[in-house]
Amino acid sequence: MERITLAHGDGGQLAHQLIADVFVSMFRNDRHAKFDAATFTLDPHELAMTTDSFVVKPLFFPGGNIGKLAVAGTINDLSVVGAIPKVMTCSFIIEEGFPICDLKTIVQSMAEEAKKVNVEIVAGDTKVVERGSADGLYINTTGIGVISHSLEPKICEGDSVIVSGSVGDHGVAILVARGELGLVSTIESDCTTLYPLIAKALQASQRIRLMRDPTRGGLATALVEICEDFGVTIELEEERIPVKQEVEGACELLGFDPLYLANEGKVVMIVPKEEEQAVLDALRSQPEGKAAAVIGTVRAINKGQLLLRTPLGTTRRLYRLTGLMLPRIC
Amino acid sequence: MQKAVNITVKGRVQGVGFRPFIFALAQRYQVKGTVQNNMDGVFIHIEGDAYAVDQFIHSLPMEAPRLSRIDEIIVTLAQWQAFEHFSIIPSERTGSSSLVIPIDTAVCEDCLREMYDPDDRRYRYPFINCTQCGPRYTIIEQLPYDRPFTSMRSFQMCERCAKEYEDPMNRRHHAQPIACPTCGPSVALLKRDGQTVQGDAIQQAKQYIRAGAIVAVKGLGGYHLACDATNEQAVQQLRMRKRRPHRPLAIMAASLDIVEQLCHVTAEEKQLFISPEAPIVVVKKRKNTMIAPSVAPGLQTVGVMLPYTPLHHLLLDDRLPVVVMTSANRSGVPMIYEDDQALRDLQGIADYFLVHNRPIVHPIDDSVVQVENGKIHFIRRARGFVPDPLETKYDVHEIVALGGQQKNVFAFGRHHQIFLGPHIGDLEHVEVVEHFQREYEHLRTWMGVTPKTIAVDLHPNYETWNIAKQWNADIVAVQHHHAHMVSCMEENHIHSSCFGLILDGTGYGEDGHIWGFELLYGNASQYKRLGHLTYTPLPGGERCIKEPWRTAVGMLGHYFGEQGYALAEKRFTERAQEIRVLKQMIEKGLHSPLAGTCGRLFDAVSAFLYVCTHSTYDGEAAVRLSEFIDDTKIYKTYPFQIKKQDEWEIDLAEMWQAIWEDVEAHEQVNIIAGRFHETVVQASVELVRLALQQYPTYERNIVLSGGSMHNRYIVKRLRQELSKLGLCVYTHQKVPCNDGGLALGQLIIAAHRRDRVCV
Ligand SMILES: [Fe+3]
Ligand SMILES: [Mg+2]
Ligand SMILES: [Zn+2]
Ligand SMILES: [Zn+2]
Repeated sequence: MERITLAHGDGGQLAHQLIADVFVSMFRNDRHAKFDAATFTLDPHELAMTTDSFVVKPLFFPGGNIGKLAVAGTINDLSVVGAIPKVMTCSFIIEEGFPICDLKTIVQSMAEEAKKVNVEIVAGDTKVVERGSADGLYINTTGIGVISHSLEPKICEGDSVIVSGSVGDHGVAILVARGELGLVSTIESDCTTLYPLIAKALQASQRIRLMRDPTRGGLATALVEICEDFGVTIELEEERIPVKQEVEGACELLGFDPLYLANEGKVVMIVPKEEEQAVLDALRSQPEGKAAAVIGTVRAINKGQLLLRTPLGTTRRLYRLTGLMLPRIC
Repeated sequence: MQKAVNITVKGRVQGVGFRPFIFALAQRYQVKGTVQNNMDGVFIHIEGDAYAVDQFIHSLPMEAPRLSRIDEIIVTLAQWQAFEHFSIIPSERTGSSSLVIPIDTAVCEDCLREMYDPDDRRYRYPFINCTQCGPRYTIIEQLPYDRPFTSMRSFQMCERCAKEYEDPMNRRHHAQPIACPTCGPSVALLKRDGQTVQGDAIQQAKQYIRAGAIVAVKGLGGYHLACDATNEQAVQQLRMRKRRPHRPLAIMAASLDIVEQLCHVTAEEKQLFISPEAPIVVVKKRKNTMIAPSVAPGLQTVGVMLPYTPLHHLLLDDRLPVVVMTSANRSGVPMIYEDDQALRDLQGIADYFLVHNRPIVHPIDDSVVQVENGKIHFIRRARGFVPDPLETKYDVHEIVALGGQQKNVFAFGRHHQIFLGPHIGDLEHVEVVEHFQREYEHLRTWMGVTPKTIAVDLHPNYETWNIAKQWNADIVAVQHHHAHMVSCMEENHIHSSCFGLILDGTGYGEDGHIWGFELLYGNASQYKRLGHLTYTPLPGGERCIKEPWRTAVGMLGHYFGEQGYALAEKRFTERAQEIRVLKQMIEKGLHSPLAGTCGRLFDAVSAFLYVCTHSTYDGEAAVRLSEFIDDTKIYKTYPFQIKKQDEWEIDLAEMWQAIWEDVEAHEQVNIIAGRFHETVVQASVELVRLALQQYPTYERNIVLSGGSMHNRYIVKRLRQELSKLGLCVYTHQKVPCNDGGLALGQLIIAAHRRDRVCV
């Protein structure tokens, strides 16, 4: 099997070969590859730009791999601020000895994911590091988009909180894929590009106030941040939050809360109550949005608290994910 | 010779018939002057014959009313003012407030006699009261305690009541909640839709309860849910509707005779039943009792109280001798006390609502006590005791202690007084945090102090941190078990260093692990840990507390490795697959915090013996395990080891081995449970013995604290065995040994740290 060697990163012949065989051929961006930097024209609009590094373990998991995640993640970050994703760059740090066929699979799925939404991957970089100084492969992606909808986060009392589907899928899929826990589950990561779904929602309502993709830290952490940043109090209804049974089961066993598990293909939105149905219908018309649901309400424009109404009729306050999960019950 | 003096009486002197008592005393000794309530207590000016004045001063503390408690009497010579009479004058609302908030008490004998007298104008009146009984804390809006500042202010006294109220010789003189059928509050029985049921409300409610219905009853400190305690079906129905599968329910019996028919009652327990505080007393059920099994399933004991309001007395009698009387709330949130909330939140739980129109200002739960070593032992300190202050030798002024996460109680320091607030509950719920803030704010206003120092438990995730950070004050973080220890020291007036044996549930330790089985030595300023139970993992974290079988897996795995997991799989066969995952979690250190706690140890053994693998209420696994043993016996101990690291560590591998062998040999659960209890005792005692050996100069006092000290066998045996080592053994009698007593210790510790900072 062909593997990455240190020479693949020295800028010489092997490096050129690798770039030509793997990246240029798959990303089909030979136009830009001839120059030191990519050049392109964008409409004279407000732009959005984001960058993110991906270090997920394992690199391949049910429902995706690190490449798909890296492209989808950056496209999603652009999409939730109301931008049309246009171009992106990617940078690889590869451990010596990494199988080239695996690299090809990863790059292939990056290309596919980008193509779905006509995003061009216009520049890239590859570094090879010695065996042991990286865990297989890391990817960094940077993306630029053109703002199509200026979101005005003027959140009002009575606004609805909508999530586009079940939460915690990615978190559980990764735990299972690591194989360390002996957990058995058919759950797949929800890793996907959200742009088409979000575009549909934006078409359906001009008044979507705010969107977030609840990745690390889960739905709860994303909403706590919204509550604090905008000083609003949101009350979620536990029973209305979609959680797949397998996710629920795994969480019960591990003592985790699905609201804190990572998602890679979900968007949470705040919309005016009267637009709720239109947005919901738009989301549900797409396969990734089938399980979209209204999960809560903006209760007040003060305090900045995220509350969870339990099925027993009591209320809990939720905080950001903390690394420290020690029992508090005496 | 003539003499004039001013007398200030501090303590619990308002709302307890103090001024009429002073008036009568003045009449007796023929002295003139005035008596008045003010923010400081009761202020008296008397003048007359010098000998009579001295007699007056002498008799005052000797004959004070039963509900009063005098903390201080200050007598100063005064100017002669030539009064012609002795009179009671209106309250003065100025002055620094050191007065005590009066507490609620059970209806007194005199009032009951009148209530059952067909010729009395308050015949069968459910709100009869006098200066010696009735509502106080629960109806007070502002201090000092005076009718216009209570929820009785909307009831205009009728002429006859007003006359009694004004008459200094009447036993209702200045009884602020004075009322009669003409002018006072009234009861009504409502259907679920809020419609009134026609007829005598109480009699109708009684009929419905007898027929198996569940009736919400508005009492003194909040709503209860009542049903016939002898009707198994009704009790099961209540459990189902309240979603409370096992947690024992309190009952109310019509009379002490009935209690004695149902339960074994000792002389000390009898005293508690009939005391003015009228708490729930946990007593042993008789065999073949008519109490429905579902009231306290699987338990030998039951919590019983006597009727404490006139309304309760009218509801219960020979035709309805015993009812379940459990506080009405959604599980984990505060007791319901407002009428509209009751109608809304108890839809689907209560069939009828027995309500009245005297608003409850401050909800308060029933106190729960048991007798231990002939003395009162608090499980919950609330109605009848709160907010009566404790005196301390330390200056605790302007310190607030926020208590624990669960069974929360906060404490307020004013000069040398400590006010423990009401039982607040579990701060997990927002409703409880709001309740905390409301009650805290009231008490703060009443005290007239602003906290400068706040004591908070060390646990970084306790809700109390969020409360503390909102205020502008110094925060002192206090280790959980140090607070337990100092709480017990303080109430026993131990001020120099001593040992503290803390057997508890879970508390955050200085090393970031979970503590709860510690031997400490120290005082309020500092302590050191001498020994503890070996740490074992809790796979799934907090989930272990609801699922004790997990804790058992963690312990077996820790002590015996592969063999231990295999044993766990054998014991919890249906969980074999999950156990394999837990094993991986433990080995990878994923969400498996380390803990050495007595509460979790009880859980693990309880689960291993199949007594309780899933817990539905606080401490269920431990409570049900201890129900198997006979606390009049002494069991044999299992073997164990104490290893010396930096600190001593109790290693229970040998005990687990022996338990397993006993299980294999089909030994009875009660024997195994008994031996386990004794092992906890012996391991603790051995730890202390080693410490005494190594540190011969240490003071020979030891305090016992922590939630596991509710266990009668453990406490009794520890007392016996530790005494044999020459130690004086101290336990809690004023505050609970559980987290309900935590704030007291936190407050004293904060007082010491603050002083150190200042010096
Ligand atoms: Fe505790
Ligand atoms: Mg991102
Ligand atoms: Zn009375
Ligand atoms: Zn009247």
